[in-house]
Amino acid sequence: MAITSSPVLMQLAGLAKRFGDQHALSDISFTVNAGEVLGLIGPNGAGKTTLMQAIAGTLATDDGQILWRGTPLPLPRRRQFLFYLPDGVRPWEDQYVARVTELFAAIYGRSQAVLAQTIHSLGLAPVLRKRVVELSKGYARRLLLALALLTPQPLLLMDEPFDGFDLRQTRDIMNVLREVAGAGRTLVLAIHQLRDAARVCDRFVLLAEGRVRGVGTLAQLRAQAGTPASDLEDVFLALT
Amino acid sequence: MRSPETAVVHRAPMRPLLGKELREVASGRALWTMLLILCPLVGYSFFQAVSLYDEASAAAAESPVLGSGLSPLDGILVPTFGGLYLAATLLFPFVAIRTLGREKESGALALLVQLPYRIPGLIVAKMTAIFAGWLAAVLCAASALVVWLAMGGHLYLPETLDLVSGHVLYGLLVGAIALFSASISDSAATAAIITLAFTIGSWVLDFALVGQPGMLGWISQLSLTQTLRPFEQGLLSAGLLLGMLAAICGFAALAAVWLHPGVRVSTKMARSAVCVSIAAAVIGLSTQVGRSVDVTEDRRNSFPAADQLALAELREPLIITVHLAPEDPRYVDLRRNVLAKLERAMPHVTIRLATSGQSMVGSASEDAYGEVEYTYDGRSDKSRSTSHREILPLIYALAGRPIPEPIPGQDYPGYPLIANASPALAWFLGGLPLLIVIAWWRSCRPPYVALHLTKDGGPA
Repeated sequence: MAITSSPVLMQLAGLAKRFGDQHALSDISFTVNAGEVLGLIGPNGAGKTTLMQAIAGTLATDDGQILWRGTPLPLPRRRQFLFYLPDGVRPWEDQYVARVTELFAAIYGRSQAVLAQTIHSLGLAPVLRKRVVELSKGYARRLLLALALLTPQPLLLMDEPFDGFDLRQTRDIMNVLREVAGAGRTLVLAIHQLRDAARVCDRFVLLAEGRVRGVGTLAQLRAQAGTPASDLEDVFLALT
Repeated sequence: MRSPETAVVHRAPMRPLLGKELREVASGRALWTMLLILCPLVGYSFFQAVSLYDEASAAAAESPVLGSGLSPLDGILVPTFGGLYLAATLLFPFVAIRTLGREKESGALALLVQLPYRIPGLIVAKMTAIFAGWLAAVLCAASALVVWLAMGGHLYLPETLDLVSGHVLYGLLVGAIALFSASISDSAATAAIITLAFTIGSWVLDFALVGQPGMLGWISQLSLTQTLRPFEQGLLSAGLLLGMLAAICGFAALAAVWLHPGVRVSTKMARSAVCVSIAAAVIGLSTQVGRSVDVTEDRRNSFPAADQLALAELREPLIITVHLAPEDPRYVDLRRNVLAKLERAMPHVTIRLATSGQSMVGSASEDAYGEVEYTYDGRSDKSRSTSHREILPLIYALAGRPIPEPIPGQDYPGYPLIANASPALAWFLGGLPLLIVIAWWRSCRPPYVALHLTKDGGPA
């Protein structure tokens, strides 16, 4: 892939997915800029997870394409550039947390220092000798985040990254993600809690019933909705 | 963190993936449960086999002729490994399915397919883990051989290795079917049903269709159980090896085709058709490879040594025209006692079935029915015998060769053994299960975690 100075890292063009008669995604088009934190915002059933799976290539689409730096990104090459962290997954439940994190570190050639830093940043040290199946929901989510942070792909897709965390933990994880974005990685986060999204995201894609209802910063969305002083919740309700 | 523009991932070392797959097999209960159940299965089979062998040996002590018929292959090895066959058919599918089924059920498959490995690499790692799991089962069963040797029993290495390799291949074939089933199923339960349909369906084919004429008989050949028979008879068949390897690779390739959830079903179907076509072509080719080697010590699949040497020198093509229906017991006898041995002994043998596809009843009215015509070097003769004692002299006469003199000292001596089988039960019901439980406990222990990783920090 050619490296250009364009801010657009990835472009979605006319992505569509049907399940039988139901249109789960219809003509989804937007861009993701390098180094930004982009929030996919929408209620349950809006198509956030389906869209993430379609981008990651773990779900076959019916139409549309994904461009990386302007070049079509076929399915076999997606894992080279992006990594998708699904929601509600407990990977390799019978394995110990230490084994799972070491697996990702070994696969991606991460040093012990990077592994230690990742474990410490997510507070996983107390559960390293526990099996994945024994983890609480919060620790299971931290483990998933650790795995995502150990990957080197330029773009991270995360489905509900704050699910299972209390307010304080959510803020801590937001700081971690901010640091990741600050280091140059691009994040696309599917979030149904609009307050969380407003705190951490630079731009937003509003989804409802499988369609894009708005794309932009909060200011741009306010202008689009014609509600200049409103918050993200009001903007979302106005546009969907 | 690395620069986002340079951190493009292409390949990763296989070792971590292999380690993960092996741990996945070892960390589940399925493997250890199978091994524990295998102990009484193999142990009791071995106990019974040794007991019967002991009784036969006691009778042979008074009659040396009886003793020469006592072969450890038939008396000990085949019945003992029968327990392993049961485990492969009924229990091992659950171990093999686990290598993929758990990842599909937990959603970890979405992570797995994003790792920097090609799909065939993922399947190779899983097949390696399946092989390792099956090898553990084979080793448990093979411990019976050590017990047999400790009792003073005799083993002939080529026939022993042949039988063991047959069971290894059979287990791998079941494992490959299980992996394919897991790849097309959403749950491990569905995958188990599909796999058991293959393995138990083979039993049904064996019971219901073997010996049937025409298409039914051909279908019965598809039974997985049939693949073990030549190994149990002490034959090492190149065609069978090729066919089994093709089937294993074919099912593994199908598993690879269906693994990735992001590929359209239509694409998967098209790729499957290619895989099935290639595998079917290779399996079809394997049926044409007639080469097989008799690896038994008693040379049960061969003529006497003098005849083997004499027949090997007959370089002209021998054409045999058989006027028998394939399902006729006389043809089965002829095939086993003469034709198969001739194919192994002579360089050019062609067998033609004059009544192929006809029923026995319909063919019996023909005058020629039951005749077998032997043509060699322009001369021909007919016989209705199914015994090599009558047919070989006929062939020598056609070739203008004298009947060879028997080579002295070539007779199989037989290996009678009067032994008490009770100590074997102590091993299979006590020692071996204890070792398995200890290995299970060791595999469950938490890993060592380096000190620098355990120091807490960050959000708690």
